[in-house]
Amino acid sequence: MIGLVDGNNFFVSCERVFDPSLEGKPVAVLSNNDGCVISRSYELKALDVPMGMPWFQLRKLVDRHGIVVRSSNYELYGDLSRRVIAVLREFSDRVEQYSIDEAFVHAAISDPEECLRFGREVRKAVLEWVGVPCGVGFAPTKTLAKIANHIGKKTPGGVYALPADPSPVLERIPVGEVWGVGRRLAPQLEAIGLRTARDLAEADEDELARRFSVVVARTASELRGVPAVDGAAAEPAQRSIACSRSFGRPVTEFEELRQSVALYLAEAAEKLRSERLKATSATVYCQFYPEYEPTRREGGADSVLVPFERPTSSTPELVKRTAPFLEAIFRRGRRYKKTGVILSCLDGDDGEQADLFADTRKEERADRLSAAMDRINGRFGKGTLFSPAQGIEKPWRMKRSFLSPAWTTNWDEIPEVR
Amino acid sequence: MSDSAFPEEAHVSGFSATADRFSEAPLDLNELLVRKPAATFFVRASGEAMTGAGILPGDILVVDRSLPARSGAIVVAWVDGEFLVRTYRDEGGEIRLEPANPALSPVRLSDGEELRLFGVVTACVHRFAKPGSTT
Repeated sequence: MIGLVDGNNFFVSCERVFDPSLEGKPVAVLSNNDGCVISRSYELKALDVPMGMPWFQLRKLVDRHGIVVRSSNYELYGDLSRRVIAVLREFSDRVEQYSIDEAFVHAAISDPEECLRFGREVRKAVLEWVGVPCGVGFAPTKTLAKIANHIGKKTPGGVYALPADPSPVLERIPVGEVWGVGRRLAPQLEAIGLRTARDLAEADEDELARRFSVVVARTASELRGVPAVDGAAAEPAQRSIACSRSFGRPVTEFEELRQSVALYLAEAAEKLRSERLKATSATVYCQFYPEYEPTRREGGADSVLVPFERPTSSTPELVKRTAPFLEAIFRRGRRYKKTGVILSCLDGDDGEQADLFADTRKEERADRLSAAMDRINGRFGKGTLFSPAQGIEKPWRMKRSFLSPAWTTNWDEIPEVR
Repeated sequence: MSDSAFPEEAHVSGFSATADRFSEAPLDLNELLVRKPAATFFVRASGEAMTGAGILPGDILVVDRSLPARSGAIVVAWVDGEFLVRTYRDEGGEIRLEPANPALSPVRLSDGEELRLFGVVTACVHRFAKPGSTT
């Protein structure tokens, strides 16, 4: 059976591990730049605050309901997420992380009762070791495990195993709630009479493949309990690395834009090097706001693809090679909202074909410099050493007004005990 | 011995071949202090409640959340809005958090009150550098 483990209100739960005073209170975690609500405690859900409510709206409810607000503390959530995965690996040697707060755990058990026992053990260990509550749903396939997990969330104890004949359960689930069936696809399926998960499970696979896609046919197969979504096939090994963030305020100066892109290149390149990959191209993009004065202009985004003759993972190289292209897409008078970079890679460091005629010495030196910077940053904290192109002051950096300390990733911010 | 009989390279490779056979990873304090990395957190002692147990202000405590609190263990617990480090005592169901400092009195849990345990302290790192400095 496959168990889907997911953290309940994961970001809020992470905040509560190190600040138990948040227990029992309505708590909201806001997205990047304190934009909107992305994680809610049960108490907040009870106040009918929807997911995605913008901060400027939530703000009006804060005093009346005693709502506690936190900015996204990704350092903390990332660390606790890694710990949850490590605990799961104690229980199964096949754990596939699906997102920051979800993972599939493969277990060689088929009896639903046995699954429940196993699930409770997993849940207890995650709660004790890491401190965050989670739900577990068991089923023979990933698509069904998603459904089981969903039901588990509403079950006291948080653990649920799909019965051997899941038809009565699938009957109650609208087709649009099935994993992999998007908002766009649901009306099309409903139009041919497939309204519930059970309808889709019983539909003819070949016809689904013909009318819609192989993906829909696979989903139907999964709903019948026949695995068709292979983790490895569904998620190919990392082939592109992206890094982007919104500015804390509109940016109009090229220099600030350049610094932000250099910082994201540095972060993406660090990830690249940790996986021993090299980028064959970089995409740099800039989003900008619409303008109303003096004339109305639409907001939008510009991007540019920069191919590299020789793959590289060196930060100074990446900055140098993308700089002219960034300059080319920059427009004076625009107010920029966000920049980002995507590095695409093909080869591992070792698999790369050496160009006999290229002068590799300079690149090797650049590689060694970058590797040394990573080591120092790993040891003394992110951002100890950086390329001057990243800028020393970062006035455009993300706004996080309600940020809790980096309890687990910064020695200066670990919890105090009296 | 003459250089021609034993070129310098030969010495170096001969030595490293021998060393390789006996090579071990260097000692790592994590190995000594952190038994379960996924469940281990670090906190900083700020008060003098446990000086008698050798925990001084500024010391870094290693806390393992996976361990059960047994009577006599030093624990971190959440009490009245703050984390405390104390010795856990369970005598016939009567639970106490005891300081190791005669100037302070123990915290007693009232009936039905549940202990909000954070974890069990397994080690204390005391450094002789200036207190509070981490680097």
